[in-house]
Amino acid sequence: MNRAQKISLTMVITFSLGLFLGIILIVMRCFDVGVPKIAFLFPVFIAGSGGIISITCFKKDKGDIIFDERDKLIEKNANLAGFGAVYLYVIVMSFLPIGILGEEASIPVTWCPVLLIGAGFCQAFAQSIAILIQYGRRDKDGGE
Amino acid sequence: MAENNLSNKIRRLRFDNGEITQQQLADKVGVTRQTIIAIEAGKYAPSLPLAFRIAQTFKVPIEAVFKYQDEET
Repeated sequence: MNRAQKISLTMVITFSLGLFLGIILIVMRCFDVGVPKIAFLFPVFIAGSGGIISITCFKKDKGDIIFDERDKLIEKNANLAGFGAVYLYVIVMSFLPIGILGEEASIPVTWCPVLLIGAGFCQAFAQSIAILIQYGRRDKDGGE
Repeated sequence: MAENNLSNKIRRLRFDNGEITQQQLADKVGVTRQTIIAIEAGKYAPSLPLAFRIAQTFKVPIEAVFKYQDEET
């Protein structure tokens, strides 16, 4: 497993965990359990911790050649997947409030930067998944 | 990566040329070991320059290393 795979795997795990916790908090808030707004920062922190772990824990790969044409192609396709995911995210987030809140409703302007952060997470999540899929499972590669 | 129609004899050639390892071949042609593994397994079709470098490493023509299999044939 190379550095890109390790980073992607960490990102997918932390993002999934953050997303799961976020959904739980939203559901709890819907049922008026008494969840403070500050609690929503916790899943964001969990999701963001993937990036911090990646920078601090994963050192450069061993060997003289750590990046070649295949890695370049995988990176390019992953970037494309990330862009596509953000595009889809923007479309969904543009129409979702209308569907949920109705045409006459209004949303606070503080949602705008939150949506931007969400787009960033969405891009990184899709990119990480695309990288993992393209590299494939290690034990199937037949390495010696 | 998607499966391709390119079969190869890299594994055979590696053993015929002093049993060089995937890492040694990767270092000689300037790619990572993972890429050699992917090429050998037919999961990645190398670029033309890389295919030529692999053939040159084994001192054989490119068609002795790679073979294109048309789906119709």
